Amino acid sequence: MDSGSQSVPSMNGRERVMAALRREPVDRTPVCNPTSVATVELMDLVDAPFPEANQQAELMARLAATGYTELGFDCIMPVFTIIQDSSALGCKIQWEQKDNWPTVKMREPIWETPDDIRIPPDFLTHRDTHCVLEAIRILKKEYGNEVAIIGKTMGPWSLGYHCMGVEPFLLMSLDDPGKTKLCLDRMKEATIQFGIAQVEAGADAITLPDHATGDLVSGEYYRRYLRELHIEFAEKIKIPIILHICGKTMDRMEYIAQTGMAAFHYDSKNEPRESVDIMQNRISLVGNINNPETLFAKGPEEVRQEVVKNLDAGVHMVGPECAIPLQTSIENLKEIPLAVRDWTREQAAGN
Amino acid sequence: MANIADIQNEFIREEIEEFIERPEEIERTVGVFAKARPAMQDIAAALIEGENDTVDRLTAAALEDGIEALEIMDDGLIAGMGVVGIKFRENFIFVPEVLACARAMKAGMVHIEPILSASGVEPLGRVIMGTVKGDLHDIGKNLCIMMLRGAGFVVIDLGVDTSADEFIDAIEEHEATLMGMSALLTTTMPNMGKTIEAFIDADLRDDVKIMVGGAPVTQEFADDMGADGYGKDALACVELAKNLLSAEVEA
Repeated sequence: MDSGSQSVPSMNGRERVMAALRREPVDRTPVCNPTSVATVELMDLVDAPFPEANQQAELMARLAATGYTELGFDCIMPVFTIIQDSSALGCKIQWEQKDNWPTVKMREPIWETPDDIRIPPDFLTHRDTHCVLEAIRILKKEYGNEVAIIGKTMGPWSLGYHCMGVEPFLLMSLDDPGKTKLCLDRMKEATIQFGIAQVEAGADAITLPDHATGDLVSGEYYRRYLRELHIEFAEKIKIPIILHICGKTMDRMEYIAQTGMAAFHYDSKNEPRESVDIMQNRISLVGNINNPETLFAKGPEEVRQEVVKNLDAGVHMVGPECAIPLQTSIENLKEIPLAVRDWTREQAAGN
Repeated sequence: MANIADIQNEFIREEIEEFIERPEEIERTVGVFAKARPAMQDIAAALIEGENDTVDRLTAAALEDGIEALEIMDDGLIAGMGVVGIKFRENFIFVPEVLACARAMKAGMVHIEPILSASGVEPLGRVIMGTVKGDLHDIGKNLCIMMLRGAGFVVIDLGVDTSADEFIDAIEEHEATLMGMSALLTTTMPNMGKTIEAFIDADLRDDVKIMVGGAPVTQEFADDMGADGYGKDALACVELAKNLLSAEVEA
C-alpha cells in the first residue's frame, strides 16, 4: 500500500477512494466512513433531521453531502441506517426521533421458514428503498466527479436477524444448517437486487453489512454460511463492495480476504497492525477509529492518535469503525482528515 | 479437596479438562460436580450440550424420584450453566450455542420454578432489568436475566425500549435495590447516563445499585456515567449482582 507517495499526482476524493479500493497508489490515504457520518449537529446545520432524512431523498442527500462539504471526507454515504431494505421487505420499524437511529422491531419477525421468504414486487419502489436510489442519483449529479458515492445493501445474515428475529435465526443456524442455508439463499436476492439498483443509480461502491460478528458467532460460522455468498455478491454486483462486520472479526479475516470483495470495514476491537498482517493486501482495510470511547467521548487529540495508528499500520482508508453516535462532535470528525493530511506531510518530509 | 476422578459423568470430566483453564475455576467446578449425585451430573451434561428435550425429561424424572427442586437447580441446571458461561467467556462457544443451552435451562426450570415459588424460599434479591430507551436489542439482557434467576434472584424484566421513568416506577413498585441496564447501540448508550441522572433528580440514586452492560459498553464508560458496576457478560452480571448486594448488606 502506497499511503502518500510524492510520485502520485494530486487526486480528488473519488479518485483517491477508488484507487484505495483497488489497492493502487494514492496521493494520500482517503478518509471514508462506509456506514454513516450523520450527526445531530450536521442535521441541524442543513435542516435535514432524522427520521425524515431516512425517508425523503432530498433530505437524505443533503445530510449525506455534509460528510464531504463539512467534514472533508473523500466519500459520501447517504444510507445512514441498516433498516431501509428491511422496511421494504415488510419489517416493522421504530422510526425514533432526531437523536436516535431507527430500528427494526425484531421481536415481531415477518418470516419463520424458508417458504415464507418472498421479495415483494415493490421492493425497489418502496418509499425506503426508492429514497436511497433517488438520493444516490442526486448526489451523483451534484458531487459525482469529486467524491465517491457509496451505497449500501444489507447482506442476508443481517436480513435474517431483521426478518426472522435474532434469537430464532441464531437458534435455527445451530439446529438446522440446511434450512438456514436455504433461508440465506432466498434472502440474498434482496441483497443483489438492491445492490444492482444502486449501481444503476450511480453508486461508485457498495457497503454490504452482514453482521456475522465475533460477538455473536464463530469464524467457522462465517466460513460455513457466508464466504460463498460473499464471493457471489462480489461477482454479481459489479462495483467494488465494502464488507462491514462490527465487533471482533480477527478469526474470520482470512475467509473474508478470500471473497474477492474490494474492502473490509473493520472495528476497533481488532488491532490495525494485526489485521493488515492477516489480510496481506488481498483486500483493502477501512477503519477503525473507536466510536463510543474516542469519537463520542474524547477529544481531537485522542482521535488523531487512532488515525495515526491506522496509518502507521498501513490501512487503505481511515474512518470511524461503524456508523457514528449521533451526538458525536463535528470537531472530532474534522480531526480525521486533518490528521491524515498532517501524517502524509510528515511522511513526505521524512522521505 | 475434590478430585476430578470423583465426577462420575465422563462428559463433564472432559468438559472441565478441555475448556476450563483458571485454577480457581477448575477447583470450584470440580468441587460442585464431585458432590453432585450422578443424576444431577447427567442433567448438567445435557444442558451443556443444549439438549432441551433431555433436560426436560431428566428434570421431571429427578423430581419424581424425590430429589429436591433446589438441588436439581443448583447441582444440575446452574452447575451446567456455569460451565457454559466459562466456555462462552473464553470464546469456545458463541451466542447460538449459549441460546441452545438457555433453552435447555428453561426446559428444566419449567418444572422447578413452580415448586420453588410455592415453597417460599427467600430470593437472594430483587433485580429490575431492561434495555434502555430507543434500543430494541435484548439477547444479552435475556441471558443475564436467565442466569440471575438461576442464581436465586427474582428478576422483573421491563423488556426493551425502557424509559427512565419506567425504570424508576419499577424500582418503586417492586421495592428493588438492584437494577441492570443494557444497550447494544452506541446511540442509545448515553441513555444509560440519562437514566442514572433521572434517578438522581428523583432523589432515588442512593436507594438503588445500578449495573450496566452491552456489547459497546466498557468499564470506563460505566464509570463515566456513574454506574455502580459493569458486567462484560451474563456470568459477570451474576457476580456483580451478588457483590453489590453483599456490599449493600455490609453497609
